Order: sequence, then C-alpha cells, then structure tokens
Amino acid sequence: MRRHFPKLLPSLWRKASQLVFLAFFLFLFVKTDYSGSDELTWAVNILFRIDPLLAVTAMAAGRTVIVLMLPAAITLALTLLFGRFFCGWICPLGTLIDGSRRLIERGGAGRERGGRQFKYYLLFFLLAASLFGLPLAGYLDPFSILVRGLTFAVHPALDHAATSFFTLTYQHGPMWLNIVTEPVYAVLKEYVLPFAAKVYGLSVLSLLVLVAVLGLGLFGRRFFCRSLCPLGAMLALFSRYSLFRLSGGSPECGGCRQCRSECRMAAIDDERTIAAAECILCLDCLPSCPKSLIHYGWGRGAKRGQAVDLSRRAAIASLAAGMLSPLVLPSRLLARHTDPQLIRPPGACAEEEFLGRCVRCGECMKVCIGNALHSTWLEAGLEGIFSPRLIGRIGYCEFNCTLCGQVCPTGAIRRLSRQEKHVTVIGRAHIDRNRCLPFADGVPCIVCEEHCPTPDKAIKFREAEVVNGRGETVTLLQPYVVGELCIGCGICENKCPLSGEAAVIVTAAGESRESSGMTMYGY
Amino acid sequence: MNRRRFIKDVLRWTAGVSLAIPSFSVLTEALAAEKPQAMLALATGEDYHALVGRVLAPLGGMATFVNPGDRVVIKPNIGWDRTPEQGANTHPLVVRALVEAALAAGAKKVLVFDRSCNEQRRCYANSGIEQAIRDLDDRRAVIEQIDSRKFVPVNITRGKVLTKWEIYREALDCDCYINVPVAKHHGLSRLTLGLKNSMGVLGGNRGSLHRNLGQSLADLATVVRPKLTVIDATRILLHNGPQGGNVDDVRRIDTLIASADPVAADAYATTLFELEPGDIEATVAAYELGLGEMDLARIQVVSA
Repeated sequence: MRRHFPKLLPSLWRKASQLVFLAFFLFLFVKTDYSGSDELTWAVNILFRIDPLLAVTAMAAGRTVIVLMLPAAITLALTLLFGRFFCGWICPLGTLIDGSRRLIERGGAGRERGGRQFKYYLLFFLLAASLFGLPLAGYLDPFSILVRGLTFAVHPALDHAATSFFTLTYQHGPMWLNIVTEPVYAVLKEYVLPFAAKVYGLSVLSLLVLVAVLGLGLFGRRFFCRSLCPLGAMLALFSRYSLFRLSGGSPECGGCRQCRSECRMAAIDDERTIAAAECILCLDCLPSCPKSLIHYGWGRGAKRGQAVDLSRRAAIASLAAGMLSPLVLPSRLLARHTDPQLIRPPGACAEEEFLGRCVRCGECMKVCIGNALHSTWLEAGLEGIFSPRLIGRIGYCEFNCTLCGQVCPTGAIRRLSRQEKHVTVIGRAHIDRNRCLPFADGVPCIVCEEHCPTPDKAIKFREAEVVNGRGETVTLLQPYVVGELCIGCGICENKCPLSGEAAVIVTAAGESRESSGMTMYGY
Repeated sequence: MNRRRFIKDVLRWTAGVSLAIPSFSVLTEALAAEKPQAMLALATGEDYHALVGRVLAPLGGMATFVNPGDRVVIKPNIGWDRTPEQGANTHPLVVRALVEAALAAGAKKVLVFDRSCNEQRRCYANSGIEQAIRDLDDRRAVIEQIDSRKFVPVNITRGKVLTKWEIYREALDCDCYINVPVAKHHGLSRLTLGLKNSMGVLGGNRGSLHRNLGQSLADLATVVRPKLTVIDATRILLHNGPQGGNVDDVRRIDTLIASADPVAADAYATTLFELEPGDIEATVAAYELGLGEMDLARIQVVSA
C-alpha cells in the first residue's frame, strides 16, 4: 500500500495544516474571555485536553482519572497509527518555531544528532516526579509555554502598542485621520485586543521562556522539539511503533544524502533510514529525493530506523531522580507554614492536588475578568511557579463570575455554579486600623463597605465619635469585617482609596478548600 | 484706509472678538433670584414606557430639553453587576423609554454610558441596559463602553474641595445631558440619587472623594449640569446599598421623578425613604452653592 503524491509539494499540505491549527489556536486564545454571558463557549482548554503529556502527569499527580483530559488518548492512538504528525502538523509552538526559522537560524545547522535522548530523560523525570508529588510538567509543555507567553506578555504588549498609537491619533490627530483610525481601533478592540489593559505577574519571565524556545533554533532546526520537548518525547515513544510511516533508503541511493540534509529533526541516519520516533512527518524529504524513493505508507516490514539510543543507566537515573526529589519537599518551611498571601482561585482543589493538576497554562489568568489572578513565583515552592494566585490590590474576584473554573483544562480549579461560587471562601479580609482613614485619621471613607458584594454585607460599619487630626471631635462611620460572611473576593482591598498598600487586606485565612492537614498553628 | 473705515473695522473686530470668547461667569445667585419656582413631576405606573412619557409631560415633554439635531447623553446608573430586580442599577425599560423620547424629539445621537464599579461588560450585560438599547435597533442610539482616552482634566473653579478632576468628555461636550439615577440606599451618603450618579462620569480614584463626599458631589455638580434629572424609583433599594443583591431589600413602588432642577429632584426623592432633604449632605451642599432648590415647600410638585 503506497501513496503517490501529486506534483504539488507534499509539504504544502503540512504547511496548510500548521497554519490552520495556528489560526484555530489564536482564535481560541482570543475567545478565552468573557463574551457577555456567564458561560464560555470557546476556550483554549480544548487544545490542552488533547495534550497527553499534561493528561498523564496531571492524572499521575492527582492519582485519579481526569475525565476532562481523556481526549488526549485520541492523540496517542492517532500517533500509534500515523506517527508524530502532532509535532509537525498541529503543534502551534512547533509552527512558530518553523516560522521564526529564518529570523533565528544560521544556515546549515541541523545535522547534529546529539542530545536528543535528553528529552526522554526529561520525560521520565517529569513522569516519576509527578507521580511522587513534584508536578513540573507544565513548565516545559509546549502549549503551556506558548499560552503563558502570549497571555502574560505578547497580548498585553500588542494592546499597549495599539492603544498608545490610537490614543495619539485620537488626541492629537486631525479629524480626517480619525475617520480612518477610529474604526480600525474599534475593530481591533472587538476582535483582537483584550477588553481592558491587563498586567500579569512574571510577564517578562514568560516572554523570555518563549523567546528562548524559539531562540534554541540557533543550535539546530527545531532544537526544542528534538532535544527538550517532553511532549515530543512521549509522542516519539508511540510513533516509534506507528503503523504508517515514512520509509526510504535503499541500495539505490548510492552516495546521495539529500534527504539527510533536508531533515529538520535529524531523523535520517547515514543509511538513509528514517527514525519513526524522531520523524515529525514534515515531508520536506519527499521532493528532495532525486529518485523519489521516500514514501509514506504501511510501515510493517520496513526498517524501524535507529532505536532511541537511550542508555539504560541514564533512564533509570532520571526515573530515580524523579522519585527521590519529592522527598525533600516536606522539609521546607512551606510544609509547616503556607504563605498567607497565597490566595487560590475559587474552586481550587486542596493545595497538593491543586499543584498536581495545574498545568501552568495560564488560562485562568487570561480569562480572569478582574485581572485578579497572577502567576505565583516561589510563594508555593519551586513546584508552584506560574500557578495562579489572587492579588487583591491588582484585581479582585468578580462576585458573579465563574470563568476560571470553566477554562481550567484539568479541573485543578473546579467548575462552580454561580450559587456555589457565592459561598466559596478563598480568604478573609482584615482591616488595618493603623491605616484605615476613619480609624487612623478620623476621616470618612467606607469605600470597602460600599463595594462588598455579599447580599448581607461582610463589611459593615459602626458610628463612632473620634478626634480627627485637627483635634475636632467628629462622628463618622468605621468599617468592620464579619468573618463568617466574608468570602475573600478582595474587592475591598482593590478599591481601598489609600495609596500604596490597602488598609483592608485579604489573606488566605479561612479558605473553604480542604487543607492538607500539614499546616498546624496553635495547639 | 480712511477714518470712517477704520472706526467701522474696529467696531466689527470688537464685536466679533467679544462674541467669540465664551463666558462662564454666570452669577448663580442673581439668576436664582429671578428664577421661577422649581418644578418637579411625579408619576406612578406599571408600564414604564408610558410612565416616562407621563412624567415628562408636565415639564413640557422631552422637546423642552432636546432640540432637533442635538447630541444627547443619557447617563443611567450601570454601576453594578446586578439584575434589574435587584434595584442596584437604573431600570433598563426606563432608560430605553428616555432614549426613545430623545430620538423622537429629533436627537442626532443619544449616547448611554456609565463608568461602572464592577467589571464594565458584566454591568452593561446584566443590568439589561445594553440589550435594551440594542433592541431599539437605531443607529443613533449608542451604548458605549468607557474609553479611557476620553477623560479630560477639568478645573472646577467653583469647587470648594474638588477643584480639579478628570471628566468623561462626552458628558461635557454634549448638547443635552440627562441624568437618570436609581434611588437607593448608600452606607456613607445614606442615599444615592442624582448628584451621586454623576460620579459615573469621573475618571481617577473616585474612592478618595469619600473623604468629603457631600461637598465633592456638589462641587462636581457645578460643572456636570444635567438639563433634566429623571430619578428611577420604580424599585428602591432600602438596605445594603449601593449594590444590594438581596431582592428582599428592594421595594417596588413604580415611581418616576423628573425635574430640570437637580437639587429639587434629589430633595424630593428623600421623602420616598422617609428622610428629609437635609439628611443628605450632597443635597445641602449643592443647595448652598445655589445649584437648585431643596426646600420642599418651595418646589412645585405636579403629579402626572
């Protein structure tokens, strides 16, 4: 069973597919936002759910079957059938790596085969570590890297550039110019740019990671995919046994090595055998073969190509490292005392399971309507980087909004109904009487009370007679928090009109998700 | 150039220049002395579309305020992510009927907006006001999300505590500004009515105005001057304002109040809550600035 390709370059089909999936990805990316109704119709989580690396690591860490992630099995099954098409035809990060090639690569790079085992060791380490309590796969997953970089840095930068430009034309441009520019801005606002300017924790780092992945092209074509990508490694383990594959290389080749120099994955060896594990089916080698010896087809009986040249010792070492490194975690201060400022989104699982399931895709932060969720740095430990936390001073959790739970691909943040959300406690507010105006300065305020969203307000006020800064006795209203009513949304902290730190601060105290029982205070 | 020509030119130029210089030095006190009695219209009914027409009739209808070709701003309260039944925002049917009336009076454009407290899009959607305007399906009726480029710094020369602030330019540029607050409870100011609703055209950190809210609102009222105030008291929120959330705190009284005098409208609305005009600091401060009448005895109330 052999397929013969028409004269049209076969790689054109691959390029078309890459463009379609990139466009689809960007469409979903922009759509991961409030659309005027409480329920989201489209979100990037669709793509995360076909990602088997994240599916397996999240399930291993949670020690449960995450139904939401089961579509990833389809990717594995298709890989077993057709090979590593995912990397070559679908992965949007791969597409960007290919697309940025001309900007980054120096000519000719790409034949070195060294280092490609590394991605397998990385995969083994990540799998073992996830299973034993140190979930890190999200740091290196290609989708996660891409969505984080776009969400935290690229999209806001685009917004900033456009808004600056159109503010200039709006405020200083003549009328005739605005007749042209304003509709353009309106269209961009409607379909491309975020609704409001947003800020994000770790935005620069996220951008650097993304740029670094693209920049690795300096060391060889698709260097990230070849040597680092753990998702690629996982798919490679399956594509090695794929039923359909590219095959070529025969005694007829003679001294010709055209296909080898063409291969971006360095998947073709000196015998011109194509390694099914490494081949991403880009099809560039097909037209390069002067004798048209390379075919995609039924692979049984064809030469398997080089086996993945893994050393048993290194494989065992990486598995062992993954198993053993979690053992150090309980010796950290974090095990006794979690950061009180670490406020997780409403519906988040208990901390350990939360980190296990969280794939660091940044979607909850993208969709967060109040710009309240931000990347954690080291507040939750080395394994907590890029996981979401609420920073009340920057944004607050909108009372009726349930979007973060809707976009979470793994259920690390549970999907809540509006009623459940209203009673989900993510923290509690505390008033700092040393700074709060009616206490400290004898000046009226209670903006916090005004904004408190619970129907029976969690911030109430008492009338009090105080002496103000000018020595006058005045009657004013002083706020106080009713602990049982407060759900920790942070709107009080956010709207507090003081400059700098707010006089009402939310901490994770009293949050309603189950605690792991590790932290103990008092006796 | 002869002498006659010279004198003619000088006179012409002088006339032209004096006409071109806008003059804002209105002596309010002097005007107030000649002003006729403040008039206020009051109407009750369940059909809000008809109710708007009825409450405007004693004031001469919308045509008194909107001239053909005018650019009109209708500024409801869309401050909160709440539904119409929760009484935290102006009722969408009231807003829609006012927009229709302005269009019928020949308005070139009717713009609706508010700088909300909750997230803008959620407020516009869940208040029902966005949909109500869209349902009109009229290109002249526009509901616009706040565009931060449109805030301009304004000197409030008559302000006692608020002397400079960023104000949404659409509220200042228009030919006719119509204020459509919802009447409701408010922790700090006791009630939020027309004067408080004007905060929705302010940029910046509005919370800091709470240090002296009553006077700040009165100061603001010297520059943001509605030609017409329509207070929506179809539902009044009695407790846990200004955002409410519990329908048990809402009383449905199907009432509208309309007046060209912003202070009189606020003053009368206090009676719906069994309060006195003097209980609301902003009303008193605005009255003292000569912005309108707060003495109920001197307000002519016409039930329509």
